Amino acid sequence: MPLSEAVGTFVKPGVSVAFGGMGGTQCVAHAYEIARQRIGDLTLLCESPAEPADLLIGMGLVRRAEVAWIAYAVAGLSYNYRRCVENKVPRRIELEEYSNYGMSLRFLAGAMGVPFMPTKSFLGSDFLTYNRQLKTMDDPYTGERVVLVPAARPDVALIHCSRADRSGNGQYFGISASAENIARAARHTILTCEKLVDEDLIRRTPNLTLIPGYTVDAVCEVPFACHPWNMAYEYAYDLPFHTEQVKAFRTREGFLAWMDDYCDAAGSWEGYLRRVGYERLMKLRQAEQRFDPGV
Amino acid sequence: MNTERYTGYTLSELMIVASAREIRDGEVVFAGVGNPLLGALLAQRTHAPNAVIATESGAVGPRPKRLILGIGDCACSENALCVEPLWRLFSDQQRGFVDIGMVGGAQVDRYGNLNSTAIFGSGSYETPASRLPGSGGANDIASSALRTVISIPLQRRRFLERVDYITSPGYLEGGDSRERTGLRQGGSAAVITDKCVFRFHPVTRELMLASVHPGVTVDEVQEQIPWELLTAEHVTETAAPTGEEVRIIRTLDPEQIFTGDGLKDLTFEKYIAMLERSLERMSGVKKELFL
Repeated sequence: MPLSEAVGTFVKPGVSVAFGGMGGTQCVAHAYEIARQRIGDLTLLCESPAEPADLLIGMGLVRRAEVAWIAYAVAGLSYNYRRCVENKVPRRIELEEYSNYGMSLRFLAGAMGVPFMPTKSFLGSDFLTYNRQLKTMDDPYTGERVVLVPAARPDVALIHCSRADRSGNGQYFGISASAENIARAARHTILTCEKLVDEDLIRRTPNLTLIPGYTVDAVCEVPFACHPWNMAYEYAYDLPFHTEQVKAFRTREGFLAWMDDYCDAAGSWEGYLRRVGYERLMKLRQAEQRFDPGV
Repeated sequence: MNTERYTGYTLSELMIVASAREIRDGEVVFAGVGNPLLGALLAQRTHAPNAVIATESGAVGPRPKRLILGIGDCACSENALCVEPLWRLFSDQQRGFVDIGMVGGAQVDRYGNLNSTAIFGSGSYETPASRLPGSGGANDIASSALRTVISIPLQRRRFLERVDYITSPGYLEGGDSRERTGLRQGGSAAVITDKCVFRFHPVTRELMLASVHPGVTVDEVQEQIPWELLTAEHVTETAAPTGEEVRIIRTLDPEQIFTGDGLKDLTFEKYIAMLERSLERMSGVKKELFL
């Protein structure tokens, strides 16, 4: 199924969405698709998103964010997020903050079908001052103090893996972060992959399958779905492109002009990739494959 | 190793070297992107060849032949020992397997509490003067790594009696307040700045000047601290980087992406060439750099 159709089918206005990835393996194509279809009023559940948060917040499509961190790491700050929180531009959002571990435990609880998870994180910090969803309790067995984080049960999960078969059995060669739990916690899961492969190939290395097909509602092959971020053994990080992008995002006008071009005028992820240039993408692929120790 | 007194280093390199020296051989190091990771990679190539680096995306023990550009960069899983799901790696840390965590932040206070959430200014948490990226994994590292090392430039606007928002707990209000709040392990071990290194008083848990960098005076440090600074009985001079340490840092970050202004004019061609040269350079000097 094309990504545009999967997004149109499952991501409805007002739903909660969770994105996979952490730095690399980031769901960039997915964020552009939601932005292109202008699906709004979303609740965003994520650990440390870059594009999935900053683009959608900048487009005014997010009502509420439950996150640990939003930025572009070495490439720079997330200016849309800053404009939103500091100046309420383009709109005000509700913000509920966690740490990376806290969010990952929320997805684990959702994936386990239990209401919460305990952790030692957050104790003594101001998360407890500003996030009313965090509860402290004393362990009924030993009396040790813990903080409880509520299960996350997003309406839709969007995750990207190295390869998958048509039934949605998804495998990873590099980092997967919380993909396995986000897929299980969500009501509907859209799994994208760099390569769609035969089930026979999946069966040869079943230990690489982190996403079993029974957790997946739609499978889409989306090469270079993480650009400008990296995908292990597929393509290197496009740091110079990211730096240019963040420079454009410094102003609201720069951001909107960027989205006119790379999102709307491009018309699809293929259109985005054509604008980036296949010669450039192939160089990123060749660069990455040279570091492959031969898995 | 060449250990002559060497003066051709930058302050950024000195900070990386000082944080590298906090790492002991064989330790598990949880390191954030930028100078913390450079410090960990440097330690691995000098005095701590068996240090195991862990990054937040779940990669454990990478031995890449290139600079790690982010916590989820391909370099994090290149030649790694293990790639875990995120919750699993952070659980290993909570369980006590991570010896040392390396973090940065925007503000630090008298008891080593760190803020990377928001600078309130005349506003509030809801409408701050400056919104920062947020915790990421910093709160988890500061809560559970057995020691936390903080890197932050020494500036009056960054060193406060009390930070606007405690993102990552140090010793809270000092004394045993960290333990009383329920945190059973860890705490800030050192604060590394561009002028000096602080440690913490063993009883009051207050920031305590331990060493000043070459050419810096105690008074210059005090000028940037809004309270009366506690100093160790013998404030020493931070050992300067060796030529070898500086050479390794410049091999790791040849375009000065983290150590200088390299990002500003990093063209695509320059970047691809950097990756290719890095593969050749680090393969060619494998014995020396990868021990």
